[in-house]
Amino acid sequence: MDIEKTIKLHIPSTHGSEKTAMDRVAEVARHMGFPKGRVEDLKTAVAEACINAMEHSHQYDGDTNILVTLTQGESRLEVCVRDKGKGTEAGWKPSSDDRKGREGNARGWGLYLIEELMDEVKFEVTGDGGGLVKMVMHLEKSPD
Amino acid sequence: MSKDLEIAVVVSGDVTIINLDGDLTAVTGQAVENAYTDAVGSGSQKILFQFHENIYVNSGGIAFLIGIAADSRDNGRKVRFSGVSEHFQKIFDMVGLTRYVEIFPTTEAALEGF
Repeated sequence: MDIEKTIKLHIPSTHGSEKTAMDRVAEVARHMGFPKGRVEDLKTAVAEACINAMEHSHQYDGDTNILVTLTQGESRLEVCVRDKGKGTEAGWKPSSDDRKGREGNARGWGLYLIEELMDEVKFEVTGDGGGLVKMVMHLEKSPD
Repeated sequence: MSKDLEIAVVVSGDVTIINLDGDLTAVTGQAVENAYTDAVGSGSQKILFQFHENIYVNSGGIAFLIGIAADSRDNGRKVRFSGVSEHFQKIFDMVGLTRYVEIFPTTEAALEGF
């Protein structure tokens, strides 16, 4: 039976706060048995999702938190990064150009890395107009 | 929390070595670009970025590295990286940095034949 365990992290939108989420997700992933290379992939993807939410939705307003939810399954780890969509009327969703990455375009590279490094990625707009990035990594797909 | 980036510059023959340790991000990347610009202003055409093994690089920092790589390519300068972890070698490859910058495991290897 796949017993799920959930951890919620409320992280202020300040430069460098993404490292709190990175460290926690790495700890969970290592405990679940993900190999080192996949843990590093996960850390980068989670950091980029947090940075995107803090910068583009919250404009690094330290009084506004992002919510990072880690859900552990038997063979999968799901990480959701949710923002409050401040500054975006209809919530946030990346354009195809954002995702491709462009020379000197940090946001583009961040989204590109998330999609390349994770097994599943979904970008959604929540009911209250915020943004949600849902990322999944499967234990059985780990190559090393 | 975010660490600052420590930058130490050493000149070895005709190579300027820029040591990086800490967090390379959108906040600290400008200092790296400034170190590169200063090296170029001093006449250096060969620049080696030496990464500390525990350095953290995010997309904001990557954007600065891409800018430096593009500038070096456009102006015929040689830029090499050393000490980059296996993970960040993969990331740099994914974003296309390795098309313009050669990566070496050690500083000694990077300086050889530079």
